[in-house]
Amino acid sequence: MNKSPFILTVAALLMANGGALAPGAALAADEAPASNRIYVADGPPATTGSGASDLDAKLAAARLRLEQAAHEVAELATQMGEPVLEKFMISGKGAPRAVIGVQLDTDSGKDGARIREVSPGGPAAEAGLRAGDVIVAINGTDVMGEESARQVVHLMHDVAPESKVKVRILREGKPGDFIITTRPGMGFRTGGIFGPHELPGPLAFQFGPHGDLPFSPPMMIHGPLADMELVTLTPQLGRYFGTDKGVLVVRASREQGYKLEEGDVILAIDGRQPTSGSHATRILSSYQPGEKIAIRLMRQHKMVNVEATLPDRLEPEHKVHLMPKDDAPT
Amino acid sequence: MHTHVDPQTKAIVNRLHQLPDEMQPPCDWQEFQRRAQHRSSVRTKRLNGTQLAVVALALVIVVVGVVMWNRTDKSVPTTVNTAAERMQSLDAASTAARAQAIENWLATLPQEPVVVRVGTRAAVAGLEDRIAQVDDLLTSVQLEGARPDGVVALQRERARLVGSLAQVRYAEVMAALTP
Repeated sequence: MNKSPFILTVAALLMANGGALAPGAALAADEAPASNRIYVADGPPATTGSGASDLDAKLAAARLRLEQAAHEVAELATQMGEPVLEKFMISGKGAPRAVIGVQLDTDSGKDGARIREVSPGGPAAEAGLRAGDVIVAINGTDVMGEESARQVVHLMHDVAPESKVKVRILREGKPGDFIITTRPGMGFRTGGIFGPHELPGPLAFQFGPHGDLPFSPPMMIHGPLADMELVTLTPQLGRYFGTDKGVLVVRASREQGYKLEEGDVILAIDGRQPTSGSHATRILSSYQPGEKIAIRLMRQHKMVNVEATLPDRLEPEHKVHLMPKDDAPT
Repeated sequence: MHTHVDPQTKAIVNRLHQLPDEMQPPCDWQEFQRRAQHRSSVRTKRLNGTQLAVVALALVIVVVGVVMWNRTDKSVPTTVNTAAERMQSLDAASTAARAQAIENWLATLPQEPVVVRVGTRAAVAGLEDRIAQVDDLLTSVQLEGARPDGVVALQRERARLVGSLAQVRYAEVMAALTP
């Protein structure tokens, strides 16, 4: 696919949707309208001949450095918290535990389990739940009555990670139904800073639905894959690329051997269909270093399967190589 | 060589020259030993007295301490515990307030930028997932009656993660705003 028309088209479609482009979603300077000119963060400014453009390029580069520093903040923050969490959670391979990302009020009344906090960006927040909502049913089972918060926790032990949970809530007295897609999490440790006598009851730090304890290391992606940029497919983009599902690659790595191309639409990663750029990132992050993944793509209106081997996360300079596997019929 | 010596110095020098080459001992050897034994005996007696005084003082301190402890064992620890609990409570409230302010700002942001950079998104997702796990864990540990310091440690950890998430999301937003 000719890159410039592709990028212009994506930009135009995104602008039509009220979106804004990030650095790297570069328009060719001489092709883009002046008001929409976008500069590549690590490259020269698209417009030339003015001091303002140089400053723009420097600002873009500074923001890129800020972004890279933010990666480090995230990595260090997750590492720093591990000693605290290790007192409560167990790392290791095993069946993961379903996480919904809410703090329940343990003194909730008999009307249901009141949500005290919703984790920002967590599954419940993504589903639209808010602090103050009162959970009255999980997957059709009422949780009203005594110890409603305990009932919610108990019911969640039977839920598998990455499955959908139907939650009925009361918001300002009015009922509402939400679907939460759970995420995998670590199992809780029995003991830790608590004495065994302090852990009575059936809920006491269960080890997940299958009795095994999982732990996924913090999600960090380094190397060429980190520079990849994705856009959730909108209906307009979908019509242009010939598919109504998937995630569009607007920037692929410039590394040799890295076979994802700009204009590819990622339809599935090992059979899991990404619904957004964040979702695709989460899927990619869920693999262990060195694991192979199969990606199904829509490329120039044809389905293509490629196979990739993920790099070691601890080696930022490690390369990802995606090799074409076969061409699937359209 | 000095030629001029003042009269005072000359007088001292003269008297030094008048001293005998060897001083006679003030007493004979037996007398010397007797005096030495006497000094040693006195020193030992003084040492024992000092030790006794130290022991007596220690006893007094212990007795006074026990008396004071018995008189205040109900009031003082309660006061200290109350103050500690109050500080812990204030600390937790302050931590929660800071986290809430940050969360309010995070709530104003779209769930993801239009163009997602995979590396930054992975960092965001990692923090979001960790916070979600801490929240679920906090519910469980509070249901199980965890010690307050354990709960406070988790709440503090949550606040720190939320702060880091805000920093990463800020950087992500700034990158998306780059013209």
